[in-house]
Amino acid sequence: MSAIRLIDAGRVSHLRSQTLYHGLAHARTDDSPNTVVLATPAEPYVCIGYHQDVEREVDVEFCQRQGLPILRRETGGGVVYLDDQQLFVQWIMAPLSLPPRVDQRFELFCRPLVDTYRDFGIDATLRPINDVHAGGRKISGTGAAQIGNAEVLTGNFLFDFDTSIMAGIVQAPSETFRAQVAHSLQRYMTSMRRELDAIPARDEVAHSYARRCADALDCELVAGELTDSEVHEIERQDERLGKANFLHQPGRMRRGGVKIHEDVWVVEAEHDLDECRVRLTARLREHRIEELELNSAPSELATALTGVVLQPGPVRRALNGYNTKRAASLDVTAWAEALLELDPTAT
Amino acid sequence: MDDTPEVRGCVLPLHLHYSVTDHTWLLIQEDGIATIGMTDVAQNLAGPLLHAKPKKVGAKRSKGKPVATVESSKWVGPVKSPISGEVVEVNAELAKDATIINKSPYKAGWIVRMKPSNLDAEMDGLLTGQAAVDAYKERIEREDLKPCTHVEGFEI
Repeated sequence: MSAIRLIDAGRVSHLRSQTLYHGLAHARTDDSPNTVVLATPAEPYVCIGYHQDVEREVDVEFCQRQGLPILRRETGGGVVYLDDQQLFVQWIMAPLSLPPRVDQRFELFCRPLVDTYRDFGIDATLRPINDVHAGGRKISGTGAAQIGNAEVLTGNFLFDFDTSIMAGIVQAPSETFRAQVAHSLQRYMTSMRRELDAIPARDEVAHSYARRCADALDCELVAGELTDSEVHEIERQDERLGKANFLHQPGRMRRGGVKIHEDVWVVEAEHDLDECRVRLTARLREHRIEELELNSAPSELATALTGVVLQPGPVRRALNGYNTKRAASLDVTAWAEALLELDPTAT
Repeated sequence: MDDTPEVRGCVLPLHLHYSVTDHTWLLIQEDGIATIGMTDVAQNLAGPLLHAKPKKVGAKRSKGKPVATVESSKWVGPVKSPISGEVVEVNAELAKDATIINKSPYKAGWIVRMKPSNLDAEMDGLLTGQAAVDAYKERIEREDLKPCTHVEGFEI
C-alpha cells in the first residue's frame, strides 16, 4: 500500500465533522490516496445512523431545548451524542486495501484505537465486532459504510462523555426507561477522564494514533491537503447533510430498546398479565436480566427474575419457583412470553 | 452436473446470472421482469443483516446504481443493480426481518423486481452457469475470502 494521506482538520463545525468523510468518499477516484482524517467538532450535536428514523429514535424537543443540531450520517449504527470532548478518526479507503469481511475490517480499524488507549495507560480491548471496551465499559463508538467508491470507517476517542445528556437525547417510552438508560450509560460507558487522573492533550492522542495507525496498516502516514475537487464535494455534502429532507427521510425503527454497548441493552414493553397492564423495564446483559422494574407487580417478582437468562427453560423455572415460594398464581406462559420478547437480540 | 455448486462453501446456483463485481444475482422471469438479490458471498461478507431498505416502487435505476441499502454490524452498503430499469416490486418481508437474506439469499431473500430498460446490452456483462462459478472462484481465491458459513435453516 502506498503512503496514506493524513488530514488533521482540527476543530471544525459539527456539520463539517461529518461532511469531511462523506465528501472525501463521494469524491474518491481510482487515483485518490487512502486517507485518514482526524477532526473534533467545535459544538455538540446529535447524529443518527443511516437507516434510523429521527422522530422514533431522538427526543427532538429535548434537542431543540438544548440547542443540539441533529444530523443523519451514511454510516450505520444508532443515535450518538458528539461534542468537543471527542476526537473523531475517519478512514476513507479503496475497498481492496481493506479486508473484505465487515468483521475483519472493524478488527483492523479498532486495533490502533485500542493501541492508542493503551499508550495512555488504559487497558482497552476490542469487543468484537466493533466496540472498544475498557474494564467492561465502552470507550469508543464505530461505524462504517460503502460510500461512493470508498469504504469508510469512523470512530472516536472519548476524552469525556456526558451520559446525562445522552440519556435525554434518546426517545424514551417512559421516564423509568430514561432513568434506566442514564443509569446504564453511567455504568457501562467510560472515557479517558474516568479512566485516568488527567485528560491527555488532544494533539498527543492524535500523534499517538497516527503512529499506531501506521503500524496497523503497515504504511506510512503523510500529512496532506484536500484537493479542490474534494473541497467542492465536501461543500456539496454540507448542503446535502444539512437539509431537513435528508434528516427526516423515513427510516426503520431499530430493534426495540437502546443498545448501551455490544452486550448491554435497555428495553421496555407493556403487556396485559394476570389482568393487569404491566410495564416491564429491564437492563439486559448478555441475554440475562441484570435489572428489572415492574410498575404493577410485586417487587419480589422483579427480584426473583433478576439474573435469569432469557431462554424459555430458565424463565419458566424462575416463574414456577416464584409461584411455589410465594404461593402465587402467575400465568407462567404469558409472563414467560412477555419476558422472552424483551430480548432484542434473541435469534 | 450439480446445479448448485459451491466455491469455498459459497453456493452459486447455475441458473442465475451474476455480477461478480458487485456480488448480485439476477433471474429473468417469463414475463420479462428481473428479480435481483445479493449472492451468498455477499451475505457472508456483510454478516447478519439488521436492515434492508430497497428503493421504492417506481424508482428508475441505472446499472451499477443502488437498488437497496443493507446494514450489518454498523456497516451500511449498497446493493448495486446489475441492470438498468424500473423497480416494480420490493420484498416487503425484508422490512420485518432482513436476516431472510442471510437465510435464503436466492429465494425468500430476493430484494427487488425490476422492469429492465436495456436488458439485451447489459446481459452481456453478466455471467451465468459454469462461467460465473469460475469467475467467482477466481475472485474468492484472489481476495482469499474466508469460506462461507450458513445460519440454521439456510436454504438454497
